Amino acid sequence: MPERTLMGGNIAVGEGALLAGCQAYFGYPITPQNDLLEFMARRMPELGRVFLQTESELAAINMVYGAAAVGFRTMTSTSSPGFSLQQEGISYMAGAEMPAVIVNIMRAGPGLGNIGGAQGDYMQCTRGGGHGDYYLITLTPSTVQEMMDLTMLAFELADKYRNPVLVIADGFLGQAMEPVTIREKVKKLPEKKWAITGAKGRPKNLINSFEMNPLDHPRRIKLLLEKFERMRVHEVRYEGLNLDDADIVLVAYGSAARSAITAMNIARKNKLRVGLVRPITVFPFPYQPLADLAERGCKFVVAEMSGGQMIEDVRIAVGNQNEIKLVNSYGGVPLEADPIFETIDLLM
Amino acid sequence: MNWEITVSGFGGQGVLFIGRLLADAGFNAGLDITWLPYYSGEKRGGMCSCFVNISDERIGSIFITHPDVGVAMNPAAMKMLEPTVKTGGLLVVNTSLVKTKSARHDIKVVYVPTVEAAKELGDETVGNIIALGAVIANAQVTTTTSIIKVLNQMLSKDKKQLELNKAALLKGCEYS
Repeated sequence: MPERTLMGGNIAVGEGALLAGCQAYFGYPITPQNDLLEFMARRMPELGRVFLQTESELAAINMVYGAAAVGFRTMTSTSSPGFSLQQEGISYMAGAEMPAVIVNIMRAGPGLGNIGGAQGDYMQCTRGGGHGDYYLITLTPSTVQEMMDLTMLAFELADKYRNPVLVIADGFLGQAMEPVTIREKVKKLPEKKWAITGAKGRPKNLINSFEMNPLDHPRRIKLLLEKFERMRVHEVRYEGLNLDDADIVLVAYGSAARSAITAMNIARKNKLRVGLVRPITVFPFPYQPLADLAERGCKFVVAEMSGGQMIEDVRIAVGNQNEIKLVNSYGGVPLEADPIFETIDLLM
Repeated sequence: MNWEITVSGFGGQGVLFIGRLLADAGFNAGLDITWLPYYSGEKRGGMCSCFVNISDERIGSIFITHPDVGVAMNPAAMKMLEPTVKTGGLLVVNTSLVKTKSARHDIKVVYVPTVEAAKELGDETVGNIIALGAVIANAQVTTTTSIIKVLNQMLSKDKKQLELNKAALLKGCEYS
């Protein structure tokens, strides 16, 4: 029987990273992800792996870049203001095609904001975030179990595509505890022939994000763009609930999706035909399933803990014909089930 | 079954800990659980709440708006919880700090002088466990046996604290 235990969301990310074979962690403390950093500080050295508390988030992301370049499974975790600081490094890593996992346990912004959980980094996460043409597969757990599972998946996808992968969760989910089934350890890590490992008996490998020759750079970008297109084709993930007869479709991720499930259940008890699309990847976004529901004439309620960011992706998916309502919270305040249900009620 | 419990008070009053005991007891019974701490930047002295869901079904929201059980450990918690407890629910009020009475007649209200009761056991820090005893005695969330099992696991290395906490739990059960 696999072990089942009560675990915090941040800790589940850490456990998932250990199970996935993360060999080096670099990070700088920031609420609400500190318990993840603390967990890694304790566990990584116990396992003979690298843990380093850096002098800043900038140092952390650049050390992740270095560790990825030598072929390590590596990660950093932070929260929104720290994530902003890391954008330059992430852009360099995307340019150099470096696999790594970056965890953003989001708090309220802009600026120093507030330590309360939020989903205000949606645009930053789904549109690259730093300079240049790049995207990151962005995974959005909505349970503590998924904090573990999607962290493990993130390492797989990072290596599969040679690209940084994001796991994003609001601070509430990071600090919440739920029952978790411990997954099996990844036994064999992929071979990385491109890594810089000393070039003994082989031609040298070069890792950078720079092309001196202006004719070479478009070629490199074209390859990146083709890679992002493959992600769009193969990596869309979402959960659909009660969609078969739905007139109204809720769209939500993270802990907002949890509140949306409760609102949906209340609606169903009131004989309202309400379903839920819960994106598990927000890049690539599940445009097609939403477009299909729009075609059927559904109305949409987007529930998110931001000023209204994911709603723009829902509008792209749905087009201009169908009604879309936003129900949200912001500034570090939870989005509860009641306002979501009230918004459903308004649409009926 | 589906229990929504909100414990609220000052950071340092053991709000998160009694939520954790309830969550562990539910987990040991094989139920789905969510435990969520909710506090601002400061720790001791700041407002602190704990949301615990215990259910035999998949739990949706990790946030609780209308608890079945509210535990108000300070006046601000009383102000927040008193109007929101579900009809038929339970409100445990810490009268050591809360001097107001509930005006509600559709819920059960149990008044517990947690600090004074804890002092009778020789240690005022177990006021939270006294309040938890009052919860268990007045709502069928879990049993004293289940909570004592969790205490045995958590405090196995500190026999003195373990006995004190058990005594506090049983003392809290006297309030109804």
